[in-house]
Amino acid sequence: MDAANKWERISSSDGEADRLYSKSRTFAGDVWFRFRRKPTALLGFILVVILLLFAIVGPFFSPYTYSQQNTKMANVPPVMKVFPGPDGSYFYITQGLKVIELDEDGHLIQQLKKKKDDAKLKQTSFKFGDDQLVIMDYSSLPAVMLDQDGNRIEETILKWNATYVLGTDHLGRDILTRLMYGTRISLMVAFIATAVNMIIGILYGGIAGYRGGKTDAIMMRIVDIISTIPLTLYVILIKVCLDDGLISIIVALSSVYWVDMARVVRGQVLSLKNQEFVMAARTIGSSTRTILLTHLIPNAMGPILVTVTMLIPSAIFMEAFMSFIGIGIAPPMASLGTMCNDATEALRTNPYQLFLPAIVICVIMFAFNFVGDGLRDALDPKLKK
Amino acid sequence: MSRYLIKRIAMMIVTLFMIALLTFILMHVVPGGPFTQEKQVPQAVLDALNEKYHLNDPLWKQFLDYMKGLLKFELGPSFKYQGKTVNDFIGNGLPYSATLGGITLVFVLLTSIPMGIVAALKNGKWQDMLLMALATIGVTIPSFVIGTGLMYIFSYQLGWTPTYGVDKWQGYILPCIALGGYSVSFLARLMRSSLLEVMGQDYIRTARAKGISESRVIVKHALRNALIPVITVLGPTVANLLTGSFVIEKIYAIPGMGSYFVNSVTQRDYTTIMGMTIFYAAFLIAMIFIVDIFYCLIDPRIKYD
Repeated sequence: MDAANKWERISSSDGEADRLYSKSRTFAGDVWFRFRRKPTALLGFILVVILLLFAIVGPFFSPYTYSQQNTKMANVPPVMKVFPGPDGSYFYITQGLKVIELDEDGHLIQQLKKKKDDAKLKQTSFKFGDDQLVIMDYSSLPAVMLDQDGNRIEETILKWNATYVLGTDHLGRDILTRLMYGTRISLMVAFIATAVNMIIGILYGGIAGYRGGKTDAIMMRIVDIISTIPLTLYVILIKVCLDDGLISIIVALSSVYWVDMARVVRGQVLSLKNQEFVMAARTIGSSTRTILLTHLIPNAMGPILVTVTMLIPSAIFMEAFMSFIGIGIAPPMASLGTMCNDATEALRTNPYQLFLPAIVICVIMFAFNFVGDGLRDALDPKLKK
Repeated sequence: MSRYLIKRIAMMIVTLFMIALLTFILMHVVPGGPFTQEKQVPQAVLDALNEKYHLNDPLWKQFLDYMKGLLKFELGPSFKYQGKTVNDFIGNGLPYSATLGGITLVFVLLTSIPMGIVAALKNGKWQDMLLMALATIGVTIPSFVIGTGLMYIFSYQLGWTPTYGVDKWQGYILPCIALGGYSVSFLARLMRSSLLEVMGQDYIRTARAKGISESRVIVKHALRNALIPVITVLGPTVANLLTGSFVIEKIYAIPGMGSYFVNSVTQRDYTTIMGMTIFYAAFLIAMIFIVDIFYCLIDPRIKYD
C-alpha cells in the first residue's frame, strides 16, 4: 500500500479549508452516537442494565433462597393492615385466619400459637408473650382483633413488610428473591437461545444464500414449511418430548426460532455475494468458509443484530408463556411465568403475587423492545421513518 | 391463476404431510411408552394396551395407519381418556374456540383499522401519540398478563363481568380484549405507517389537485391501497389468535380447543397432542391460503408466481 506516492503533496496552508475537523468515528461509535440520541432507546438500555444487576448480583444480597419455605409466613403481602396490640406490638391476620406478630418497624416476629377456638362466638384466642392472651374475632369478615376490653379494633394501620419486602407466596417463599431468580432464568434462557438461534440461522442462511441454486431452493423450502405453523406449536411439541428443566426449554426455543434469522442472512448474502470484494476474495482463492465467515457475515452484521434484539423479547415471552401453561421450569426453581401461573389460583385474595412477576415481565419486554427499536434505527438509518 | 392455485394446493399438501411426519416422529422419540407411569403396571396389561393401540407394529406401519386415518379425518383415540377420541375433543372445543376467535377477529379489525387511520391523519398530534403509546403497550405486555389484570379489575374489583365461562355474552368481553390486544396494537401500527406512506404518494396529490374532498381522497384513494399490507398479515394474525387462545381459555376457563390442547400437553396425552397439532396446522395453512387468494384478487399488481 504505497498510496502516499500517488498523491501530490500540498502545503498545509492551501488545504486548510478541506480538512476534516471532526474525528472519524468507527462503525460501533457511529451506532452508539445515533442510539443514545433516542430517549426511549437509552431508557431501555438503562433498564436492561438494571435488570441484569437485579438478576445476577441481587441474589447475593438476599438473605433467602428461591426454594426456602416458611409456611408459617405464607401469603403475607408487602403492605399489611395491622392491628395495634399490647406492649407496642402489632398483629396481622392472614387470609387463613392466622395471627402474625410484628414489631414497630414491620418485621415479622412469629405466628402466634392458638390457645382456644370458640366456634360459637367465632373468636379465637392466641397466646402472646408469656401469659397474655389476644383474641381475634371472625364473626364478621374481614376478621379483626379485639382490644384488652374486648372491643373490636376497627382502625387498622398500614405497615410495610420489613422482613419480606415484596411479601411471600403461598408456600412462604420470599417473592423478591424469587423475582431475582426468575429474571435470571428468563434472561439466561433468552440469551442462550438467541445465541444458538443466531449461530444456526447465520450458518443456514449463509450457506443457502452463498451456494444458491438447488441447495438454496431446497433449504428455503424447508424454512417455508417450518414457518407455516406458528413457532409456539413447535416449541410446545419439542418441549413435550424432553424432560422438565432448563436445558430442554433452551433446546426447544433454540430449535425453531432460527428461521427468521436464516431468511435475513440469506437475503443479505444474496445481495452481497456478487460485489467486488467477494469476487476479489474468490479470485485469490479463498475458501468458501473464509469468504462466508470473514467477508460476507461481518458485512451483514447490522440486520443480524437487529433480528437478534427482536429475538430476545420473543424468547422471554415464549418462556413465560410455556411456564404459564404449565410446561416450563420444574419447581421449586422460579421463573416469572411459573410465578404468574402459581398466583392465578389465588388472584382474588393475593393479587400482589401475580402483579409483581407480571410487572417484571412487562419491564423486561419494554426494555428489550426499546433497545431493539433504537438499535434498528441506529444501525440502519435508511429504515427510519 | 389456475396454475398458481394448483401449485399452491400441491405445496399445501406437501407441507401438511411434512408436519404430520414431523409430529409423528417427535411423539415417538419420547422415552418410555405412552403408558409409562409411576405406578408399576403389570406386564400383561401393558402388552394388552400395546396390542390394542397397535404399538407393537413396526413404526412405518403405524405411520401408514395413522396417515390412512388422517385421510378419513380420524385423529385416533386419546391415550388418557378411555373411550374418547381426538375428534371428540375437537368437536367439543371447536364451537367455543371458533366463536371466541371469530368475535376477536372482528373486534381486532374494527378497532385497529380506525385506530391506525386516526393516528395517521393526526400524525404527530396528541391523538397520534396517545394511540401509539397504547399500541406499544399492547405489543409488549404478554396476553396472560393483560388477561389476568383485566380479570382482577373488572371481575373481582368492579364485578362487571363474569370471572369464567361464556354462558352470558358479557363473558366474551374480557377474553376478546386480552386475546386481541397484541393484534390490535400490531395492526394499528401497521395501518398507521402504511397510510402515512400512501398519503405521501403522487396520486394522492393528484386527487387533491382535482378538488376532491379530503374524506373522499382518504376513503376512495388512500385507504384501498393502505389496507393491502394489513391484509397480508391477516394470516399470521389468525395464527396468533389461535396460539394465544391457549392461555386465554385457561385463564377464563373456556372449554375450547386451546384448553383441551393445554391439558393434553400437561398430561402428556401424545395422540391428542399430535392430532390437535395437525388440526391446528391444517387450519392455519388453509387460512393463509385463503388470505393469499383474497390478496391476489384485490391487488391486481401481484403476479401469481
